[in-house]
Amino acid sequence: MKLITEGIRVLGEWGAVLFGIGFLAPLIAQSMDALEIAAPFGLPTIAFGLIVGPTAGVVAKLRGSWV
Amino acid sequence: MSVVTDATTRLSRKTDRELLREEQAIARQFMGRVPWEMVVWGLGNFLVWLSLWPLVFSGTLPLWAGFVLSSICCALAYLPSHEAQHSIIAKEGEKLRWLNELVGHVSTIPLVFPYRIAWITHRMHHAYANDPEHDPDFGSHGPNWWRAAYGALKERQPMNEGMYEKTMKETDDPNRDRAFLEGLATKVVHFGTLSALAWSGYALEAALLWWLPRHIGFTYLITFLSWAPHHPMTETGRYRDTRFWKSPVGTVLSMGMEFHIIHHLYPRIPLFDTPKAWRALEPILMERGIRDDRDLDWSDHSDDPEAEAA
Repeated sequence: MKLITEGIRVLGEWGAVLFGIGFLAPLIAQSMDALEIAAPFGLPTIAFGLIVGPTAGVVAKLRGSWV
Repeated sequence: MSVVTDATTRLSRKTDRELLREEQAIARQFMGRVPWEMVVWGLGNFLVWLSLWPLVFSGTLPLWAGFVLSSICCALAYLPSHEAQHSIIAKEGEKLRWLNELVGHVSTIPLVFPYRIAWITHRMHHAYANDPEHDPDFGSHGPNWWRAAYGALKERQPMNEGMYEKTMKETDDPNRDRAFLEGLATKVVHFGTLSALAWSGYALEAALLWWLPRHIGFTYLITFLSWAPHHPMTETGRYRDTRFWKSPVGTVLSMGMEFHIIHHLYPRIPLFDTPKAWRALEPILMERGIRDDRDLDWSDHSDDPEAEAA
């Protein structure tokens, strides 16, 4: 049980960053592709997503909330 | 003398105990049947939601239509499970218990809301409705629905310890460990599915078929199932923690929640029978001093200082 509680705690604690990498990054990239928006500095959209997604995740983690 | 005045005079002469006995006798008439409509609703809604995936992925259904339908499915996903949480479909030891549990588990999958967690926290909601310390749904209080929905969104943040987490930590329910395990598994599967889809090139589909509809569904549920029937959440007690109210969008679009007071008084009455039960119980309940807000705008409440300040 302790392991489960610890698992939930860690997942919750780093969930925002994992979400930023695992879901937000490709979502940002594919949204940009669909809307034909180019990433700045000639970056591939997925690279841009991988900068913005996890950064937003870290900010959410520090703030304790996405909203 | 009118019939209503007659009934009121008759009831006002009765003691509390007599009124309660009469109330219970009437309520019992609405209990005991298997709500097959909720079984069809719960399993059917899940199958519709599930079918959206191949329909969208095969190009049969446009993504925007899938998004709209999925949002509706998510909004519809909770109440059948709620019926199962109260063992209305079948009690422990009954022949159809498996069906009760199946509906309970399956119907909330679109919401990523594990049945056992829903049940444990919902039981606490019934026991402590409107108690700021112990009611897991207290996070959805607010002077209007959008502030309630925003507050509940903040409560759902994975980094926060919201009222649901607090309730799960504090409960001595024997199913707690199992519920925790199911909660963890559900989170992992949900996140794993979203990530796998997103990194396979289907991020928009994952976002618009599951991630966003789930939040829309929760917002709807919090507004109509939690906030509106209990607003302003300042009173506790059997006859005061839930109100009779009139929904601005009607009974169907608010999923019968105008009669949620019947559910709090008699949780084993099936959802579809709560309007009938209300009509039968209304004179007694008025005599008992229930909160009758039918003449108020749904956001108003005369005793709500927060609303007045806003």
